[in-house]
Amino acid sequence: MQSMFWAIAGLSAIPFVFAGEIFMLGLGLASLLLALATCLLAIGVLWRRRWARRWVIALEVTCLIGSLLLLVLPIGANHGPVALMTNVVLPIVVFLLLRKPRDETPLGESNRAQSAGASAA
Amino acid sequence: MFDIALPHAIGLYAALVALPLALIAIRLRPARRLVPGTVLGAAVLMAVSGVVHLALISAHPDEPITALLFLANGIGFIGLSLAFTWRWWRLASASLLVATLVGYLVYIAFGFESPDQVGLATKLLELTALGLVLVPAPGEAGRPRRSLRWTSLGIALPLFTLVTTSTVWIVDLARPDARHVHAGALLQATNEVATPEQVVAAAQLYSQTKAALEPYQDWHRAWTAGYRPEGAANMPSQHWSNQAYVNAGYVLDPHRPQGLVYANTKHGPVLLGAMFQMKNLGQFGPDPGGPLTAWHQHENICFTPFGFEFSFMTPLATCPLGAIDISASPMLHVWIVDNPKGGPFAVDIDDEVVKRIVRA
Repeated sequence: MQSMFWAIAGLSAIPFVFAGEIFMLGLGLASLLLALATCLLAIGVLWRRRWARRWVIALEVTCLIGSLLLLVLPIGANHGPVALMTNVVLPIVVFLLLRKPRDETPLGESNRAQSAGASAA
Repeated sequence: MFDIALPHAIGLYAALVALPLALIAIRLRPARRLVPGTVLGAAVLMAVSGVVHLALISAHPDEPITALLFLANGIGFIGLSLAFTWRWWRLASASLLVATLVGYLVYIAFGFESPDQVGLATKLLELTALGLVLVPAPGEAGRPRRSLRWTSLGIALPLFTLVTTSTVWIVDLARPDARHVHAGALLQATNEVATPEQVVAAAQLYSQTKAALEPYQDWHRAWTAGYRPEGAANMPSQHWSNQAYVNAGYVLDPHRPQGLVYANTKHGPVLLGAMFQMKNLGQFGPDPGGPLTAWHQHENICFTPFGFEFSFMTPLATCPLGAIDISASPMLHVWIVDNPKGGPFAVDIDDEVVKRIVRA
């Protein structure tokens, strides 16, 4: 889901390039690359790669800190339910699903990694 | 799109109540041990979506077909969230989720419904649930059709998300509500038709501002006064801002507008008008001309310090990497060149006017 969100954000910058905002091209491409990297990390999580799990956790924590900063700073950032879901709830959920395994999870015992992979994918 | 339609607020409250209840209900079912966590996740999300649909029936008392569809959706989602051990659960769930998403797109495309935060949040839940329904899990019983499901997950779901987002965005840009103009500019609430006194006051503001701007026809004098260009210089027009006037918080002072707007011609900048700006977000300025001089506030802008450029936040509330979501405090433009489409206080100047000046 996050990969798709970043891909859409990257695509959304492209029309502004045609309007003369050349820096938006770099930002759009960077977002699309991030989307690709996130998708590859999600596949890594599905394949139980520890490095992928570590990178995803780092990515989610970074996203969460950035999003919380935007929520706290008085810059008029959007505080609607969709913004909270995509920028706060989703990173928290992925982070919780990728924690070190314990005996039981809120969604069932057997498939924590599967759920995390699916959420990240 | 970024607001909550008041009648739909009940859907949001219902979702907040339904989520913990659905989590508790699923933990109490022994059958949860028989299915993967992804199925349980999808069941919880569908239960929440079902409750939202049922709650929204009350928001459409005069639309029996819509209310009936909401009822069918609600019952279907809640039923499927309980029946996750059913053999045909995945097929039935995926079908209902796709039908619901397509139904929503048809509704907003034909103008039966306007996209708002409750609708978008619910679609986000449903897209996530669809992904969880499709993703294969190890050791599934029966014929899991893993290749087909991975293909759907890898191609169909991203395309579906893109189509959903694009449709919502296009509809919102093409048919903004009464208080929104072009992309995300929220207009000040005013009376609908200007009174004769307001017409006189607007004309007075215009003539005072036009006279006060006369020195700034020469951009060198604007520079000396502290105005500096902002954003891309290769655009047909460009805002120049005076940070000292912004910080000082002058309110609708024709001699100290916070910004100027110039057309970028090959002979140098040509003055198009002024921009008054309030210091604080959400604080609209005095409105002497009523609807003629309504201020506007730009919301949900993705701003990047690289080149001081802007784009618009997506319906999924994301910005490109390197840009952050901001709002700009209320502003009022006064165009001193003829702006036949919108008038002297329009949110935007007509592109054709600027092009004509640039060509000249």
